[in-house]
Amino acid sequence: MTYPQVLLQNRKPDRIATLEEYQQSGGYQALEDVLHNYSYKDLQKVLIDAVLLGRGGAAFPAGMKLRTVAEDAPFPRYLVCNADEMEPGTFKDRVLIHADPHMLIEGMIIDGYGARAEKGIIFIRPEYESAARILEREIKVAKEAGFLGKKILGSDHSMEIVVHRSGGRYICGEVTAQLNALMGKRPNPQQPPPYPTEKGLWGMPTVLQNVETLANIPHIIRNGVEWYKNLAKTETGAGTKLFCVSGRVNKPGCFELPMGVRLSEIIEVHAGGMPAGSEYKACLPGGASTRYLPKEFYDIEMDFDPMREVGHRLGTGAIMVFDQKTCLVGATLNLTEFFARESCGWCTPCREGLPYIRDLLLRLEEGEGREEFIPMLKQMSKHLWSSYCAFAPGATSPVESLITYFEDEVREHIAQKRCPFK
Amino acid sequence: MLPNELKTSLTEHIASVDHPRELVVDIMFAIQDQFGYLSDEAVEEVAKLLNMSPLEVEELATFYTFIYREPVGKYVIHVCDSVVCWMDGYESIRDHLCNKLGVEMGETTSDGLFTLLPVCCIGYCDRSPAILINKEVYGPLTPEKVEEILAKLREET
Amino acid sequence: MPKLVIDDREIEVPAGTKVIEAAERLGIMIPRFCYHPALGSVGACRVCAVKFLEGPFKGVQMSCMIDAKDGMVVSTTDEEAVDFRQYVIEWLMLNHPHDCPVCDEGGHCLLQDMTVSGGHGIRRYLGMKRTYRDQNLGPLVQHEMNRCIHCYRCARFYQEFTGYRDLGVMQLGNRTFFGRYQDGTLESPFTGNLSDICPTGVYTDKPSRFFGRRWDYQRIPSLCIHCSLGCHTVASGRYREVVRQEARYSEAVNGYFICDRGRYGFFYASNEGRPRQALVGGKEVPYDQAIREAREKLGELIKNTGPGAVACVSSERSSLETQAMLKRICQKKGWQGPSYFVDGAMAQKVKSASSRLESDLAVSLRELESADSILVVGADPINEAPMLALAMRQAQRSGGKIAVIDPRPVSLPFEFHHLQVTPNEVNLCASLLVKAVVDLGAATDLEQSGIEFYQEIPKLETVAPSLQDQISKVAQEFKESARPIIVCGTETVRQTTPALAADQALLLQATNRQAGLFYLMPGANSFSASLLAGEDGSFTEILEGIENGTIKGLVLVENDPLLHFHDRQRMELALAKLELLVVLDYLNSSTEQRAHIFLPTSTLCEAGGVFINQEGRVQATPRAYLGGTPIAQVSGGNHPPRIYGSEIPGGEPRAGWQVLAELVHGELQPDEDATRSSVLKWLSELDPAFADIPAIDELPDDGIRMSSAEEPSPRFALDWLSEMEKDQSPDDHLELILASRTFGTEELSQYSPPLRKLEKEPAVLMHADDAARLDLSDSDKVAILLDRGALEVSVSVKENIASGIIVMPRHRLLEWQRIESLPKYVSYEDVKKVSS
Ligand SMILES: Cc1cc2nc3c(=O)[nH]c(=O)nc-3n(C[C@H](O)[C@H](O)[C@H](O)COP(=O)(O)O)c2cc1C
Ligand code: SF4
Ligand code: FES
Repeated sequence: MTYPQVLLQNRKPDRIATLEEYQQSGGYQALEDVLHNYSYKDLQKVLIDAVLLGRGGAAFPAGMKLRTVAEDAPFPRYLVCNADEMEPGTFKDRVLIHADPHMLIEGMIIDGYGARAEKGIIFIRPEYESAARILEREIKVAKEAGFLGKKILGSDHSMEIVVHRSGGRYICGEVTAQLNALMGKRPNPQQPPPYPTEKGLWGMPTVLQNVETLANIPHIIRNGVEWYKNLAKTETGAGTKLFCVSGRVNKPGCFELPMGVRLSEIIEVHAGGMPAGSEYKACLPGGASTRYLPKEFYDIEMDFDPMREVGHRLGTGAIMVFDQKTCLVGATLNLTEFFARESCGWCTPCREGLPYIRDLLLRLEEGEGREEFIPMLKQMSKHLWSSYCAFAPGATSPVESLITYFEDEVREHIAQKRCPFK
Repeated sequence: MLPNELKTSLTEHIASVDHPRELVVDIMFAIQDQFGYLSDEAVEEVAKLLNMSPLEVEELATFYTFIYREPVGKYVIHVCDSVVCWMDGYESIRDHLCNKLGVEMGETTSDGLFTLLPVCCIGYCDRSPAILINKEVYGPLTPEKVEEILAKLREET
Repeated sequence: MPKLVIDDREIEVPAGTKVIEAAERLGIMIPRFCYHPALGSVGACRVCAVKFLEGPFKGVQMSCMIDAKDGMVVSTTDEEAVDFRQYVIEWLMLNHPHDCPVCDEGGHCLLQDMTVSGGHGIRRYLGMKRTYRDQNLGPLVQHEMNRCIHCYRCARFYQEFTGYRDLGVMQLGNRTFFGRYQDGTLESPFTGNLSDICPTGVYTDKPSRFFGRRWDYQRIPSLCIHCSLGCHTVASGRYREVVRQEARYSEAVNGYFICDRGRYGFFYASNEGRPRQALVGGKEVPYDQAIREAREKLGELIKNTGPGAVACVSSERSSLETQAMLKRICQKKGWQGPSYFVDGAMAQKVKSASSRLESDLAVSLRELESADSILVVGADPINEAPMLALAMRQAQRSGGKIAVIDPRPVSLPFEFHHLQVTPNEVNLCASLLVKAVVDLGAATDLEQSGIEFYQEIPKLETVAPSLQDQISKVAQEFKESARPIIVCGTETVRQTTPALAADQALLLQATNRQAGLFYLMPGANSFSASLLAGEDGSFTEILEGIENGTIKGLVLVENDPLLHFHDRQRMELALAKLELLVVLDYLNSSTEQRAHIFLPTSTLCEAGGVFINQEGRVQATPRAYLGGTPIAQVSGGNHPPRIYGSEIPGGEPRAGWQVLAELVHGELQPDEDATRSSVLKWLSELDPAFADIPAIDELPDDGIRMSSAEEPSPRFALDWLSEMEKDQSPDDHLELILASRTFGTEELSQYSPPLRKLEKEPAVLMHADDAARLDLSDSDKVAILLDRGALEVSVSVKENIASGIIVMPRHRLLEWQRIESLPKYVSYEDVKKVSS
């Protein structure tokens, strides 16, 4: 089954699409169009109508975010592209940048126009050094071609884009933490108010958007709202989605598929099915901070709304597939170890609660589990929702869903006094 | 402590931006690239360049995974230990590396060539189990491939 | 004003009040660790969770992070919230060492309280505890990181509130570490507050380490007398000594904090060498006998030569009662004096300041925090009155602009403009600045003399172009200011400066600004001393009287002129000439050792006392303990010796005013001599300004501000212009400025062993240009030829100092008292490098 390729249309196995190639596929026409034919408000409206939801995990409507920058907000304003992508299982932004960097650049310039931001910053994790270099190089290329700099294409919009390398920490992906990191402060999150679009970088209005979100923008402009909405398989959804599939599948990778495609199809068709002898047990559907999706949802439509309706989250659309031979206590222990290590240490529940949960899971996994651990895990997962930022609720999603869907497996560990999978 | 050329380029870079402090990670990386790690002297140097106190630099230096406050080997091997690599057997890769290099995680080989460090998901889950060597990715790995890579790196030096 | 319901009780609070604060008003103390009224809310610890039942927020939320709003219904006892809080405590206790038995915080530990009240009693966590390595943070604060619960208060206080940059947060997750980059003494002079604000025992008070529990101490509200601000403290006494001092909240003065000089300055009282015995001719005698002999000897002198043969001197560290009693004696008996300031010029400046502090100009230290611009004229806050710097920092944090006109290398923990002009230019510079800010056209209600005063201010062009630029730049920033405050020092400024500062404040006020005026004075009770000091009886006159033989007897009360007077040699000769020197003091000063009769007095904590701070705030402190030699000294650490007696060993010292009253026993009317309150009553007869002061035990906690300037002295004098001509430094001369340091120059705190460790080696400071001219580099030793011989001292070369001056600290380790008269100019030739 093949679907229209939008974001990855110029993807090549071994190199990026050049500026010429991007332009041949229609690149930078949207920019031209926007700069000459759109008011800021028009642009915001189009993005709202197109139901472009943030692809960084929180699904916030991109057009609405632009709208929250007040008309008379002070200058300079900033646009930050979140290329931190540290959510385990997620690598779509990397694929996108390696496929077609100009798509992101164009998206940023247009989005920058929508916020009247003249400075764009791409915040990128250190593991993506090659992507950072590509971007630095292609930003120069775009500038030479007149797409960046002063008075772009004869319009009133000017913009510069720089690449900012992170020192590497998961929490830097969180908006407010990222802004602190950019300002050379400790990357602890900061609860609004003030909202970044009001007072962000250096106290100035700042719009922050994920790579994939930004890359969608030129296509929406070029092909229209209806086209964009029709890309999705669901009624309420819009566009395509980059799904990263990994774990127990034959062909792990990043696939551009219509929003709302069924999980079963992604696994069986696009990711080459599961290896012989493997049976689907569960997946994490949208990165490590989403809940295990057990077999009963195997056919679910992978879109924000349908997932939400059954109490799950699409997150980043990074699907990690577990089979019946994989111990989910072990997997959850691993995930919790990740979160405990990456906790920024600002608030108590996350800083201390995660190591506590980790300790309980470790004991379970090593056969030292006790019955009373189960209610404690339940209670702590619930309480971690009262943490300072969204990190901890994400971190407990695997834990909570483990107990909810796989309590038997946990009990088995207690009863057998060992991990039944070892 | 800095070579003149580096110092000039850093000072120029700092002078060219509105908010010098936004460069603190870049400057730490630049000096780290020069000396392999960020020594105390380097922290103090960064502080001086950016008009920060050494503590303010240390607050950041100790936060980030990729700033090394202790000497590391010529090759820093970051072994991804997050969930997909875990599922795909990163432990055997890690153990193999430890065996071959004769060090534990967190240690540097006595010849100063290799340092082994754990790292969380590096965004190459489609190539798991994966590792980074000096920020370059290798994967999917098998013990055999690990040996090849080590041999090649040894040869290069 | 939003109205909300907390635990079924309704309360109305001002907009912007947090729910945690609203609850507190109802007497409901919601647990908290990271929230602190001075530091604000950050929502880090999560222990203040309550359940929001109705209103704009729902469910378990942090009460410190949410503003009270109409219609909110909040429960602090809801099961879910209670369970959550219990978990928070459990989490915080996972790694806590449970070393309460040996922890100095035990007994007043917020974590202990919360653990018990939160209902977490049984350890469930089976894992290991995380441990940290502690740092040596210097002599004041003990570091024990294992006890940390990561509330971030320390770092927020240190960096945000005080503006220092050498303590903070490192690492992350549950390895997060609070401390310095490396071991070493904390740089801030406000570090003791860390022990106060840390909710557990990470930062504890080092000097009082292992000395006692909170409940062992006699804790008494007290005042700090180590500068003129009068901050509030709590003194903790045990075994006949004060062992610890903490900040006490004061709405008007110091807020929640105090500086380290104030906190650790108390050791003079238990100083081992403190004289506790009355002495006659150097021999110990019973106290009453000493008083009798003193009375007789004074009587003889007077009989032979008349009352004018006796003079009295007290100081600004004496309580109001003592100062006043001495004044009363002089008045009644015709003795000379009293003088309270050995420096005559200083006496004049303080008098001028207190007489110009009109009640609608005077502002308190806390009011200064809400200034939108502050102009400091001749003051060095960190060195003279550290808490002033902290108040200015708060103003600056909320957007206030700050400029300092001072020749010294003023350093402050925030951004400010430093106009580093010569001492003689301070007045001019301040005037030019105010002139540039004030638009006379907008002036309402300005008297004619004010207009003339304004017009007499020279043109901006009279100063160097670079200074012109600086002045214009600052003026630009100050122009829009609605609440400007002028801070004026008295230490190094010219005679006319205090009055000039008041006039400038008036100009700002006349142009529709809510202007304020804030003076610094040399000592804790300078303000009252200036009210009591008469026109006659200046110290110089007394000194001359001794020298020419008209004065034969001197009563010195809590003053050490050998330390304070600029010409020690002259002072020594004068003292030697006296037929009778009676010294009352609690310090073993060099003057005390020359006394014919010595009468030991008690200290602030042993006697209590009234002190009037530099803004005219009358504050009283009760006695904290009875006095006596500390048990540790009597017993050498063993059990106290079993000697029977009803006296307190070493308990002879008596309050200064009491000794004085006894000295003239029978000669003052009985109702006027014996009680503290009768002293005040008499004072109000003397000066109506005292009439508003209630009895001592009725003084409110924050005291009462008296205004001494009911009929203000003449405004808008122009004598500063002629003074500028007169005090011009001669060519090729450097002006010598005697200055304070945070540690090492203040008389009482010099006795503090921990503070001595913080003193910097005394050095004279000069500008790089002057140093270059003298071929000197930093840390060189020089010999400076003064009137009474050369002084060897090392040099510290600075950029942020006026050129043409030498700043010399009045440091206890420096014999700077070799100056014939002030201002003192030293020729370049008289500064010579000492070859090493
Ligand atoms: C702990 C945490 C980590 C996050 N990491 C990322 C990330 O690596 N990349 C990203 O785009 N968004 C990340 N997010 C989501 C961002 O906070 C933010 O919602 C997003 O970048 C906004 O862009 P979007 O609206 O285009 O999705 C993270 C959020 C949290 C709470
Ligand atoms: S939940 Fe708290 S500790 Fe965890 S990352 Fe967010 S702020 Fe930091
Ligand atoms: S007091 Fe509210 S979160 Fe700490």
